[in-house]
Amino acid sequence: MSKILAIASSNVRRLLRERSNIFFVFIFPIALILLIGAQFGGDFAPGVGVFRADDDPLADAITEEIQSENSLAVTGFESSDELTEAVERGTVQAGVAIPAGVSGLAEAGTQVEVEFLARPDGAGPQLQSIVSAAVARVMTPVAAAQFGAEKTESSFDEALTVARSQTAMAPGLEVETTAVGDALFPSTLGRFDLGAAQQLVLFTFLTALAGSAALILTRKLGVSRRMLSTPTSTGTIVSGEGAGRWAVAMVQGLYIIAVTYLLFRVDWGDPLGALLILVAFSAVGAGAGMLMGAVFSNDQQAGGIGVVVSLGLAALGGCMLPIELFSPTMTRVAHLTPHAWALDGFAELVRRDGTVADILPELGVLTVYAAVLLVLAGWRLRQVLTRP
Amino acid sequence: MTTVLAAEGLNKKFDDLVAVDGVSFEIAEGETFGLLGPNGAGKTTSISMVAGLLEPDSGTVHVAGTPIRTNSTDGRAEIGLVPQELAIYPDLTGAENLRFFGRLYGMRGEELEKRVAEVLEVIGLTDRKDDLTREYSGGMQRRLNNGIGLLHRPRLLILDEPTVGVDPQSRNAILESVEELSGQGIAILFTTHYMEEAERLCDRVAIIDQGVIQAEGTRRELVSLVGKKDRISVTAGGDLTGIARAAAGLSGVTEASASDHGIEVLTSDAATLLPSLMSCFSSVGASITGVQIFEPNLEAVFLHLTGKALRD
Repeated sequence: MSKILAIASSNVRRLLRERSNIFFVFIFPIALILLIGAQFGGDFAPGVGVFRADDDPLADAITEEIQSENSLAVTGFESSDELTEAVERGTVQAGVAIPAGVSGLAEAGTQVEVEFLARPDGAGPQLQSIVSAAVARVMTPVAAAQFGAEKTESSFDEALTVARSQTAMAPGLEVETTAVGDALFPSTLGRFDLGAAQQLVLFTFLTALAGSAALILTRKLGVSRRMLSTPTSTGTIVSGEGAGRWAVAMVQGLYIIAVTYLLFRVDWGDPLGALLILVAFSAVGAGAGMLMGAVFSNDQQAGGIGVVVSLGLAALGGCMLPIELFSPTMTRVAHLTPHAWALDGFAELVRRDGTVADILPELGVLTVYAAVLLVLAGWRLRQVLTRP
Repeated sequence: MTTVLAAEGLNKKFDDLVAVDGVSFEIAEGETFGLLGPNGAGKTTSISMVAGLLEPDSGTVHVAGTPIRTNSTDGRAEIGLVPQELAIYPDLTGAENLRFFGRLYGMRGEELEKRVAEVLEVIGLTDRKDDLTREYSGGMQRRLNNGIGLLHRPRLLILDEPTVGVDPQSRNAILESVEELSGQGIAILFTTHYMEEAERLCDRVAIIDQGVIQAEGTRRELVSLVGKKDRISVTAGGDLTGIARAAAGLSGVTEASASDHGIEVLTSDAATLLPSLMSCFSSVGASITGVQIFEPNLEAVFLHLTGKALRD
């Protein structure tokens, strides 16, 4: 056991000694979690630009009604061209252009056309319905006043006052919305919670695979062979190398959990459950890293392939785009990767307040992955170390 | 003296290539035994089997009476292997490298720290013990490489070409330390393709070529194989056959023959013969441009046994 620890601790020490490793293991993941949290988390209100061609009471009323929508951030624009450019560039998600003299047009019974601008690939349809409803709330009393003025002796302004007061008193029509099923991302999910789990899984695996280069270097330098000349069995050396890679992944994983909790208050759910997922997933990474280190003989080649493989598996396994947004087919494909199972486990703990018992299936699958990879890697490494 | 290493009938083939063929030798306590041969002669394969890194196809190795096998760690604590390549971690310090291998040899705590300090002193790296070894010079790295092999006080030290690629000063320091170790009773197996090193260090030498030990013995015993003759090589022009015939008639000349560029003369005493030989050459009109005297050495023995130079 002491020899296994000696080999494992030398691996950790060597990793921590490289400045570039410090950046990629400790600084970069946290920076990425911060960036993703800042981009996608928090209270996001889509921006709507409003251009009014002149000072008009009805235009004021339409603008105030749109501004009363709490879900929108409304900005005024000086010209129609500026508004169009802002929408095109995505500075605001949609634009509303109110023509000149809308009050006069409405009073004369002429149709008023309020222009709605949105990019075809954004949230245009949803914003259009919100804006349309706001405009309708303003224009309905106007239409009623126009009708009243036509049919009675009263003026348009008198009819409008009556129509607005009646509209305010009329029983409203309410559309009741009932949520069915669980939300994919509950409102209690913190802005950093999703990204933290994704980056933990991505980076621990990436670091473990990058560790294959160190193993190849150890072999190339003849250190592995020299270890074999000591009273140390091949099994002990293989175990030590595996434990080293596992320890590296654990150090990084625990660091990410601790720092994201302390800095961003990331909720990792049941601590024991999170620890068990990390233990199992680190073992998967260690097995994969050791297998690569035993199969390849060129450290630079292994380093390059390791990055490609780990980023590919991360993308497929839901570390870049949440699995919940995948199609059913891609969700099944994603679960061929250990990443998806680890993320499922974290989701169970964080979003559904799961316990260790709830994540037993995920832990089981990860353990099988780890066992298969470690056995394969051990067998291959043993072969490599003992061949002439 | 007690036999520390006994290798008997070692054979190893890699596919169709016979790397080692029936190699046997013994090394006693305090004895330095050299395996002298060119690259590819089978030296590293032989010591890999001795160190338990490679399973022989047939044959046995015993160190301090314990059989050495690849599937067992028995007897490994008695062996200190210094491989030809620099088998050290470049991203660990010198002291950390020593501690790491010390722990693999089962050393712990105070015993380990004390021994690490001793070895650092022996290899002259105490002042640089906390520097990463990638910052060491080639000679310093080589000294650390050798020091790791000594750490656990082995009874058998295997040095595989320990001076390859080092500067003359470090080379001399390494050779001196090997001489000291031999004096301390350690059995040393030393492989080299430098004849001078084998002559300086080894009590006995085995000349190995193409996987076979061609001859084994002390330097004196091996030199006797070529008849203890000095060789005078004269670079000359003229009727070389005639000159050789004239030289052969001189007293003290064992054999004289014409070569491509001169005359080769074998004699029991080159220094005594040389003046009369020069007079003879002058009298027959030979134009002499160079003279070299070769005393019998391991290089000559190797040439005699294998028909090729050691560095071919």
